[in-house]
Amino acid sequence: MIICIPEESEPSEKRIAISPENVAAFAKLGYAVRVEAGAGESANFPDSIYESAGATIVSDREEIWSQTDLLLKIDPPTMEEATMIREGATLISFAYPARNEDLLKVLGERKINFLGMDCVPRISRAQSMDALSSMANVAGYRAVVEAAHQFGRFFTGQITAAGKVPPAKILVIGAGVAGLAAIGAARNMGAVVRAFDTRPAVKDEVKSLGGEFLELDFEEDGAGSGGYAKVMSKEFIEAEMKLFAEQAEDVDVIITTAMIPGKKSPVLITEDMVKSMKSGSVIVDLAAEGGGNCELTEPGESKVVHGVNILGYTDLPSRLPTQSSRLYGNNLVKLVNLLGKADEFSINQEDDVIRGALVLDEGILSWPPPKVEVSQQPTDPKKESQPVSEEKEAGGFSIFSPGLMLALLSALLLTLGWKGDNEFLDQLTVLVLSCFVGYMVVWNVTPALHTPLMSVTNAISGIIIIGGLVFSTGPEPWADPKGILAGVAILFATINIFGGFFVSHRMLRMFRKK
Amino acid sequence: MTSGLVSAAYLIAGILFTLSISGLSKQESSKRGNFYGMLGMLIAIIAVFLQIQTSSDSPNLNIGYIAPLIICGSVIGLYFASSVAMTGMPSMVAIFNSLVGASATLVSFSSFFHNYQGTFGENDIIHKIEILLGIFIGSVTFSGSIIAFGKLRGSISGEPLLLPGRHLLNLALLIAIAFLGFIFLSNGFDEVQVLVLFTGLSLVIGIFLVLAIGGADMPVVVSLLNCYSGWASAAAGFMLKNDLLIITGALVGSSGAILTYIMCKAMNRKLSNVVFGGFGNSSGSSPSGGGEVVGTITEITAEEVAEDLKEAKEVMIVPGYGMAVAQAQHIIKDITETLRAKEVNVRFAIHPVAGRLPGHMNVLLADANVPYDIVFEMDEINDELPEVDVLLVVGANDIVNPSALEDSSSPIAGMPVIKAWNARSVVALKRSMASGYSGVENPLYFKDNTDMLFGDAKDTLSAVFAKLG
Repeated sequence: MIICIPEESEPSEKRIAISPENVAAFAKLGYAVRVEAGAGESANFPDSIYESAGATIVSDREEIWSQTDLLLKIDPPTMEEATMIREGATLISFAYPARNEDLLKVLGERKINFLGMDCVPRISRAQSMDALSSMANVAGYRAVVEAAHQFGRFFTGQITAAGKVPPAKILVIGAGVAGLAAIGAARNMGAVVRAFDTRPAVKDEVKSLGGEFLELDFEEDGAGSGGYAKVMSKEFIEAEMKLFAEQAEDVDVIITTAMIPGKKSPVLITEDMVKSMKSGSVIVDLAAEGGGNCELTEPGESKVVHGVNILGYTDLPSRLPTQSSRLYGNNLVKLVNLLGKADEFSINQEDDVIRGALVLDEGILSWPPPKVEVSQQPTDPKKESQPVSEEKEAGGFSIFSPGLMLALLSALLLTLGWKGDNEFLDQLTVLVLSCFVGYMVVWNVTPALHTPLMSVTNAISGIIIIGGLVFSTGPEPWADPKGILAGVAILFATINIFGGFFVSHRMLRMFRKK
Repeated sequence: MTSGLVSAAYLIAGILFTLSISGLSKQESSKRGNFYGMLGMLIAIIAVFLQIQTSSDSPNLNIGYIAPLIICGSVIGLYFASSVAMTGMPSMVAIFNSLVGASATLVSFSSFFHNYQGTFGENDIIHKIEILLGIFIGSVTFSGSIIAFGKLRGSISGEPLLLPGRHLLNLALLIAIAFLGFIFLSNGFDEVQVLVLFTGLSLVIGIFLVLAIGGADMPVVVSLLNCYSGWASAAAGFMLKNDLLIITGALVGSSGAILTYIMCKAMNRKLSNVVFGGFGNSSGSSPSGGGEVVGTITEITAEEVAEDLKEAKEVMIVPGYGMAVAQAQHIIKDITETLRAKEVNVRFAIHPVAGRLPGHMNVLLADANVPYDIVFEMDEINDELPEVDVLLVVGANDIVNPSALEDSSSPIAGMPVIKAWNARSVVALKRSMASGYSGVENPLYFKDNTDMLFGDAKDTLSAVFAKLG
């Protein structure tokens, strides 16, 4: 099977679908990889690297599109490209099926299998193929870099000979993948980061990255399905807007990431709020593609309004092409892996992930997928694993139930006392007390020294030599069975004493500090 | 006067033995502890020597007889102790246990011959019970330890030998042993023959018990036999009316019992389950039960592992028995040193039942010169795992299996495990995808943050080390 990687035709698109590292992974699955000449140039992957990784470089654009079994791409193909693709081939790229009806029609006529990277269901098993998340991650990082580029001051606070520099204050709205990436990046640059999200569940994640989680005096959980937040009530939104208005006066940079799939992005930053911001402040609107979270955002552009830089770039992942291509390529490897090796390649619709991603099945529209399969799992992905109940905690000696043991022991001792064998009782006293001492002492032994503990106890068990000595008396002990057996016991016990102590010594000497 | 002195000397020896064990509570004091043990032994032997020599009603010790035996025993003991490799410690401990068992049996016989003048007196019933106990515990310890030794050395298959109806067989043996004991106690039979038969059956039951136990349960078995060897000494102490033997036996016995308890706890199994039921045998369901594992495994190359390690700040290594088999501890130490020189915080996490002996991994790592203060116990380290950038699982399986905590239908459910999956990334070194001793599939390998590095641990780690440079 042949995998072809065409050059992205959009001029502003700097990414390529796979990185050179992925070539080997595909080769391992049995695929032959062909890359269009110059396709990786703008992502800093020259043709030569692909070649040395085992790919074939093809300079004819026609050939790439027409002689392929599996076509890997980032953006959906253009109309022109769609007519070039070989009939019956499989195409994997972003699909955006809701707004690309015409394209799907053209591809459908050519009986294409089309898997949309943006349609991969957001369930935990498919996380490694979730290109939306990996791109959002890049976008979040890049948003901070763009903001820092526009912002006229340091992000970090410093005390220098020339005076004190306060740290920049950044507000991140929406702590999804992009938001969290932005929080992490901004924190690493030394800024003070605040974050807001309608889902209280992300609070811990925000905190673990070093951000401060802003809360409303209002109880409503915004967790929706598929990893997105749901639309909130009117009262909630009012409280939320009040918070943003307060924050806007205080912070230097606002990064907004609130997107609702397939809908217009909610307006969270009004013109009045922009006016209240300090001159030189920056707003990066990651939701620009859906119209923007800021009233003044112009998608794809950067502009200055009321002294505030408003960045509405929609191509942030493409502005970090090397990183984005690597991550996207890794997502593709995982998805192709699911489709099988080259000789057993199949689009198995039983698989929820594949079924969810499948937009065209041999040209027939199969999007959106049946609801049950996709939305059931994400609501509670951990449901199948029930926590282990406490009852299973066992590990004791059930036959040694304390009450029974104590009763038996007392009865036995009383019988013995009644019989009046004092000597035996004395010995028993020694035994019982020694057991208690042993119990206390042994529990204190550090687990790291359990092996030496065994060898030391082996050595002191050699005290049985006393038994041997007692019976090795008289002029000719070797002539009588008692003496012979005692002699063997002495031999064995000595081996234990010397061997046990010496090997313990050897071991204990090995334990050293750094 | 001498008898008072001897008692005092015994007491001192007993105290020194106790101190020798309490010295093991910390690495710093452990060497001193071992020294106390030696001193105690010396004092005890001198005391018993004096006791016999000064006693008026028994003949003197035959020095010409015992000196060569002691010299011979010390040479053999020192030879084996100095030549044994640390990977061989489990079998060494097993053989020591067996020697104690044998000695206790032999001494019991000696004691029997000493008092046996054709017949016993009526009042010697307690003494006879003590002899029987000494022989029974001693023989079971002896034969069981020999089998354990064979299994640990690999000369006997590590697979549990599960004879059909073995519980009935064991029960029948026990009844026969009890019956012989009863005959021995009642007069009028050839007591020597009865006693020999009694010993023979005790030996057989020891063999059966240990044959039915699989390789990875050996930590429990060796601890248990260690415990028995203590009770054998204590029984001999009762027989000889010697308090020091009783004290020592009790110390050793409780030590073995506690170790056994810790091992059972660490596997979340009852002692009876380890001794009487092999895995997959008791549950009735198929051993692979425990839920289907979803997901795919990802492989990683040694080169990539080296890259990950170089970029990491916190590295954790979880060794298992596979590390000992592959003899990978030395290369692990090289990797550890290289990384530590690069300011990477490398630490080790040890599960109580990793290896074939309690504390086995600690000794192997110490042998490879890994400092003990970067080696931690499971409970000390489990909460810190989310901070770990790269976690290497070297030849361990069941002890890092998440289904022990997540899947109540799993055969190993409830077993405390090292929560390796909490680390940011996990690399599992394994020879193949075969499941662990318990036969349970390990979902850890299918997690997104886990990569597999297949091959012999020593070879793959050497490759990693070469790329670290």
